[in-house]
Amino acid sequence: MSLTRRQFGAISAATFMAGMPRASAQNAPIKIGAVNPYSGGMAQYGDEVTRGFELAVDWVNAQGGVIGRSVEIVRGNATSAQEGIAAVEQLVGRDKVDILVGTYVTAISNAASESALNYNKLYWETNALARDLTDRGLPNYARSGPSSNEFAKRSVEGALELVAAKLGKAPKDLKIWMEHEDSAYGTSIVKEQERLFKEAGLTTGIGSHSARAIDVTDSILRAKNANPDLWMSTAYVTDTNLLLRAARDQGFKPPAIMLLGVGDTVETLEALGKDFLEGILLVSYPRPDVNPKFGPGAADYLKAYRAKYSRDPIAPQSMNAFVGIKILYEAIKIAGSIEYEKVIKAAASLDKPLGTYEAGYGAKFDAKMQNSRALPVVAQWQGGAVKAVYPKEAAAEGVSIVNLPRS
Amino acid sequence: MSNLEQRQAFRQTIVVKSLRQELPICALVVAALLCVVFLFAGDSFTLNILAATFLYAGLATAWNIIGGFGGQFSLGHSVFFAIGAYTTANLYLSFQISPWLSLIPAMGLAAVVAVLISWPVFRLRGPFFSIATMAFTEVALALAMYFDAFTGGARGLSIPFRLGFGNMIFRDRFSYALLMLGYFAITLVVVAAIARSRLGYCLQAVRDNDEAAMASGINVLQTKLQGMAFSAALTGAGGALFLMYVRVVDPPALFSLFDVGVKIALVALIGGIGTIYGPLLGALLVIPLENLLRAELGASVPGGNLIVLGIILVLTAIYLKRGVFGTLQHAWLWSRRRTT
Amino acid sequence: MAEFVNVLAVGLLLGGIYSLISVGLNLIFGVIRIVNFAQGEFVMLGMYGAFAAKMALGLDPYLAVGIVVPSLFVLGAVIYRMILMPLQGEAMMQVFATFGLLMVLQNVILALTRGTTYSVNSALSTMSVTVGPVQIGLVRLIVLVAATAVTIALGWYLKTSLQGKAIRAVAQDRKAALLMGIDVERTYMISFGIGTALAGLAGCLLSPLYSMSPQIGINFIMPAFAVVVLGGLGSVGGAYAGGFIVGMTEAIAGFYLDPALKHAVLFMVFIVALLVRPAGLFGHAGAQEVGLREQS
Repeated sequence: MSLTRRQFGAISAATFMAGMPRASAQNAPIKIGAVNPYSGGMAQYGDEVTRGFELAVDWVNAQGGVIGRSVEIVRGNATSAQEGIAAVEQLVGRDKVDILVGTYVTAISNAASESALNYNKLYWETNALARDLTDRGLPNYARSGPSSNEFAKRSVEGALELVAAKLGKAPKDLKIWMEHEDSAYGTSIVKEQERLFKEAGLTTGIGSHSARAIDVTDSILRAKNANPDLWMSTAYVTDTNLLLRAARDQGFKPPAIMLLGVGDTVETLEALGKDFLEGILLVSYPRPDVNPKFGPGAADYLKAYRAKYSRDPIAPQSMNAFVGIKILYEAIKIAGSIEYEKVIKAAASLDKPLGTYEAGYGAKFDAKMQNSRALPVVAQWQGGAVKAVYPKEAAAEGVSIVNLPRS
Repeated sequence: MSNLEQRQAFRQTIVVKSLRQELPICALVVAALLCVVFLFAGDSFTLNILAATFLYAGLATAWNIIGGFGGQFSLGHSVFFAIGAYTTANLYLSFQISPWLSLIPAMGLAAVVAVLISWPVFRLRGPFFSIATMAFTEVALALAMYFDAFTGGARGLSIPFRLGFGNMIFRDRFSYALLMLGYFAITLVVVAAIARSRLGYCLQAVRDNDEAAMASGINVLQTKLQGMAFSAALTGAGGALFLMYVRVVDPPALFSLFDVGVKIALVALIGGIGTIYGPLLGALLVIPLENLLRAELGASVPGGNLIVLGIILVLTAIYLKRGVFGTLQHAWLWSRRRTT
Repeated sequence: MAEFVNVLAVGLLLGGIYSLISVGLNLIFGVIRIVNFAQGEFVMLGMYGAFAAKMALGLDPYLAVGIVVPSLFVLGAVIYRMILMPLQGEAMMQVFATFGLLMVLQNVILALTRGTTYSVNSALSTMSVTVGPVQIGLVRLIVLVAATAVTIALGWYLKTSLQGKAIRAVAQDRKAALLMGIDVERTYMISFGIGTALAGLAGCLLSPLYSMSPQIGINFIMPAFAVVVLGGLGSVGGAYAGGFIVGMTEAIAGFYLDPALKHAVLFMVFIVALLVRPAGLFGHAGAQEVGLREQS
């Protein structure tokens, strides 16, 4: 295929620079375009994910960069699929980034990564959840973090192994109600949960609600009718808070509650108070509190975050993003280049065991370039803090399960 | 009417333009835009913005038929937009029908649905009509999320990338810019034709005083329905093109009040409601500005771009009711009054 | 049977919430016929005001009412003066202007808070009252009581006080009101201010119930219009009833049909009501034309 002017320019510049005397990180920095929502309702999470990116950039620059070049982040704001395309145009066309990373929202990642392919740029996904993103088989796309399937899987494991044991019931006898918000995020997770539960021989009750609902008491009443042992919910922050408050108001007290994806931040703590939350199970990205053997360096990550941003992490999405970029660096190092085909190939060749990175992840990409060794953990609210409890290895020293069944 | 207005109206009737006189102007406008596209060939960042601009210019021009000329401020055009997108998506994914061919059923279905839901709603006046159209959008959104057979539900539908003119899928932004320009050109010609036709005059009569129009023998409801049908059909076509451009759609994106429903009306308003070229001007002003604001401001001040857009909307509603084009036109007419 | 009673109770309390949210819009749109799409944002501002009062002064939301409500009155009066007064009689431009206002208010709060969700808890948040077979959260009960009290107070005010009568006069016929010596512009400004102040009151009282985010305003505005239209334009009691119609519809549809569809059911009912009786159930027929007459 004939070269575009930009490609020709890039190759000649690279050749020219290769011939120059080597001075570490003196070469043009690698520009990474971060596609995320930085305005609108998701702004907070877009920011948080990018903070993880920025910490990863600081980390690698302190070591002289990767393949001899320093790294910098350029932000591309996108709150919808259409804006995702525009963001890629801006980042590639105007800001001349080399690699694209993202993205807190699936639909944006979907459109932006296809746009990136037009420019032969790598799109490295750290956070977006939908399984479709990797199932598509896009040649420039890889996901370093867990997908919705891993969240579903971990929640089902937590239910069948952890909750069943604590409630003194055989896993098959567990009565489960799964509540979800009705957008793609909640629907895809619940679908996979349903499938996994069916495989294990359970039937489950399912309820859905709109994330924008003014009132969710009806969802709680329906769940209450089903009298479940375990009530699971996949939703956003505002409606999760609403559901929990409605549960409290209606006297809905299932022996176990498990929240997926959200409910693990200070926003929920402020709304419900630590006494109500005590013992509620959470399925979320690993946090810096995990056992250092499980997630080496997690405590250092926390220190670095506090030093740079003068506050604690808002959500565990940032450490997930941080680790994702670290895995990207590995792939770039092996590939020796930032061209997407080489990086994808190098990533596919990675084989790091679980427990290599701060979040307890390893690196082993399956045929669709989904990292099969990136898994969320089951955590629990304990005394107003979120502590990992499952898998056992993730739990820090002295952490055990509390308040299950809920009193 | 005051003396001044009478003389202005008389001046205007002398120079009533027929479609034949209007077409060269349309051609000139489209040719100018074509030059702009060629000017930026190779700069995909700008071409992308141009493509979005032309798409919204077309959508706003289509809206203008019923909104500007007809005076019925529909804020629910996203329903027709979505029908166009979903029809094309389903025909493409299930039957591999080319989007070019799907345009016909997409437009037809949008027009039919428009007539069906507007028929009862047109008896409402002013803001009640707008609120009703917004209520329809809410209903359609909820139904689209719940009944996922045709819409893919919350997950939406995505068109896999298969290059080809027949598929209306292109690699470069240049082709998309031309595609959207073509869409705008067609809507422009249709609107020019309507504006200079009996339907156009009936619509404006209904807008200005529907009781007098009825007294003059105009079938008010039929006029409104015809206008709505044309408007919806063209909006549906825009939805189909949008689908092939972004290739991933879900109900929140298609039925979005701010990105579609209100934005179309906003663009027409800022440009000039009730003028043929006003919506184009509105799109040229709003869409690139919005992109620029989002890129520059959106990251540092979350929502900053929407704050500016909101302020512009408020100021336009207060001071520039006729929109930029309308105000200029009005000023030009007013300045020529002395030479009667 | 107990279940049905529970659903009814939920609907009743929800109706209280909707009535409270809509009472301000009822005054602004129902009585003085200004289309205000930003009304939901004023409720949101009331909520954030309660939050700010808690953070800065440690006030319980119920006490913060004393600060938030007057502030929102002033804000409303200012907004009326600057934005809506020039648009008198132009309903469609009011739609656009208030939409722009919606965008500005929502995103200013977003810019200030960067999108973090806040919660405000009152000392009363966790208390509930048992009435027969149903448990009712105290906060919701207070909302219901407040909605009733405000409705009665507003109705009394409009009917008997001089300023209230001025408001009604101005809404019925501007020119005649002017001829009677009423300062029309001032009256409109005061009415709008009262409307936004009532929205602020709703925000404060609702703040213990909802986790507030800048987007919450949009969730309120469409149901609020449904309430005002369903209940009856120009009828304060009608809007009160409208709140319960909406609340009941949602509660029953949500429980017996599907929570994901209740929104659709509500708006279909709304559309049917708009078509069949646009003046609302308790408004007098033709009420929807009042105020629009002046525009031709």
